[in-house]
Amino acid sequence: MKKIKMRHKRWDGVQIVATVLLLIFSGLILIPFWNAVVISLESARAYSLHPFSFLPAEFTLDNYKEMFEKGGGLLLAYQGTLITTFFGTAAGMTVSVLGAYAFSRQFPGKKLFFRVMLFTMFFGGGLVPTYLLYRNLGLLNTYAGVIIVSLVSVYNIIIMKNGFEGTPMELQEAAMIDGANDLVIFGRVMLPLQKPLIATFTLFSMVGYWNNWYWPMLMLTKGNKNVLQLFLRGVVNGTILGNTSGASMAAEQQWFPQGVKMASVFMVMLPIMLVYPFLQKYFTRGILLGAVKA
Amino acid sequence: MKKKNLMQEIWKARYLYLCLIPLFVWLVIFQYGPMYGVILAFKKYSAKLGIWGSQWVGLSNFKRIFMTPIATKAIVNTLQISISRLVWEFPMGILVAILLTEMPGKRGKKVIQTVLTFPHFLSWVVVACILRNFLGSDGAVNVLFEQLGLDTVNFLGSERLFRPLLYATANWKEMGWSAIIYMAAIAGIDPTLYEAAECDGASRLKRIWHITLPGIRTTIAIMFILAVGGIMSAGFDQIFNMNNAMVADTARILDIYVYDLTFKSVPDYGFTTAVGMFTAVINLVMLLGANQVVYRLTGEKMFR
Repeated sequence: MKKIKMRHKRWDGVQIVATVLLLIFSGLILIPFWNAVVISLESARAYSLHPFSFLPAEFTLDNYKEMFEKGGGLLLAYQGTLITTFFGTAAGMTVSVLGAYAFSRQFPGKKLFFRVMLFTMFFGGGLVPTYLLYRNLGLLNTYAGVIIVSLVSVYNIIIMKNGFEGTPMELQEAAMIDGANDLVIFGRVMLPLQKPLIATFTLFSMVGYWNNWYWPMLMLTKGNKNVLQLFLRGVVNGTILGNTSGASMAAEQQWFPQGVKMASVFMVMLPIMLVYPFLQKYFTRGILLGAVKA
Repeated sequence: MKKKNLMQEIWKARYLYLCLIPLFVWLVIFQYGPMYGVILAFKKYSAKLGIWGSQWVGLSNFKRIFMTPIATKAIVNTLQISISRLVWEFPMGILVAILLTEMPGKRGKKVIQTVLTFPHFLSWVVVACILRNFLGSDGAVNVLFEQLGLDTVNFLGSERLFRPLLYATANWKEMGWSAIIYMAAIAGIDPTLYEAAECDGASRLKRIWHITLPGIRTTIAIMFILAVGGIMSAGFDQIFNMNNAMVADTARILDIYVYDLTFKSVPDYGFTTAVGMFTAVINLVMLLGANQVVYRLTGEKMFR
C-alpha cells in the first residue's frame, strides 16, 4: 500500500519548476539544431513559403549535392581534419602520457622540471612571437604546424599525472622486483590499469583537433590545405560559395545559399553528434578528474 | 660521496628522463621559443634586422597602449564583457546543477543532461553558424515575430543587443557543461543532512538554500576565482565568430584588437607583442592572486 502511494507521490512546486525550466532549456538548445537540419533538407521555395517548419516542406538533397559541387573543398577539408585529428591525437597523447607517467614517479630534479612545464600554463610568448616562430621554422601551410601548435595541454598532463599517482604502488614495486625497468612498468602496469583515463583524454584530444580553427586559419593560407572548421567559415563568409548574403534569391539563382550553409554545418558536426551520446560518460569523467584536484 | 649518490639516482631514473624528452623538446621549442620573441615588446621591429637586431625602444610600446584611444577602449570593453560574464554566465552552471538535482526521474534527467552538455563539444564556428541562421534577419525567430505581428529584431547587427547576445549564447553553449562540476559537488553532500531537514519540515527551497548551496560553496568559490583569473580573456573564439562590421566597436576586446593589428593591417609587431604581453601579464597576476585567495579560503593551493 505504502509503495503505491510513494510512486504516486505528487511532485512539489520546486520539482515542477525545475522540470519545466530544464525542458525549456533543452528546447532552446534543440530547436536551432532542428531548424538547421530542416533547412539543409529543403528547397529554397519551401523555405520562402514556410521558413520555420518542423519538417522539410519539400524534401530534397540538392543542398548537399550543391555543397559537394560548389564548395569543392569539402573533401580536402575532411582530409585535412582527419589527418590532423588522427596524427595530432596519436602524437599528442604519446607525448602527454609519457610525460605524465614520468611525473607520477620520483626522480632527481622532478620539481624543477615540473615548474618549467607549469610556467608555460601561465605565460606564453603570445600571438605574434608564436606566429613568427612557426613562419621561421617553415611550418606555415603544413599540417605538421597545425598539429604541433596544439599538441599538448599541460593542464591535461597534470590531471593524468594525478590519476597515475593513484595506481597502487605495490604493483609497480612487484614489477620492479621482477627486474622490470621503468619503461616496462609503464607498458605492463600503467597503461593497462589507466586505460579509461587515457581513453578520456584521447577523446578530448580528438574533439579538440576536430574543432580546431584558429591556428589553421592563421597557418593554412595558401588554399592547398584546409580543415573542416575553416571550410565552414569560408562557406558562411561567402568566400567559398560566392556572395551569399542572407537568403536573397534572385531569379537566376538556382541554388539555396542558406540550405547549403546548413548542409555544411551538418556535415561538420555530424561525427560529434553520432558519437557524443554514447561516449558522454567518458567526457564527463574528464572534467570530474580535474575537479577533484581543483 | 654525495655526488656519486646523485649520479646513481639519476642513472636509476634514466628511463623516466627518456619519457620526458619528447615533452620537453616540445615545451622548449614551441612554448619557450616564442617567449624569446617577447623582447619584441621592447623593440621597434624591422623585418630586415630580425627580432634580435631590431632597435630597442624601452617601454615606449607600452606607453603607446595607453595613448591609443582604440587600445584603451579595447581594455575597457574587455573588462566590461568579462565582468558581465561573471554576472550573467557564472551562476547559470550552479542553477542548472540545482535544477537537475531537484528534477525527479532518472531517465529524463539523463536525456536532458545529454542535450544540455552537447553544444560544449561544438566549435564556436559551428555554433555561430547555427545561431546566425536561427536569429538572422530572415531566420526562424524573426519569421515567428513577423507572424505574431511583432517587429523583427536585428539580433546580430545591433550594438545594443550584441553583448546580451554574447552572454545568452555562451550560456546556450556552456551551461550544461559547467553544471557538471557542481553536480559532482552536490552528490558529495551527506544525504542524512537532507533527511534530517525533511524530518524537521524544511521545504525543498529551504533545503536548497540551507544545505545544497552551503555544501558546494567551496566549489563555487574556486570556480569564481578561476573565472576572475581569466578576466583579460573575454572570449575570443565566440566574439571572433559572431563579430561583424555593425558591432565591431562594441565587440573589440583586446584579443580581437591584437588579431586585427597583426593580420589586417601593416603590422607593427613590436606594438602588437606589447599589447599581447600586457594581457598575458595581467592574467598571470590575477591567476596567482586568485590562487592565494583560494589558499586562504580552503587551505588548498591549485598550483604549487
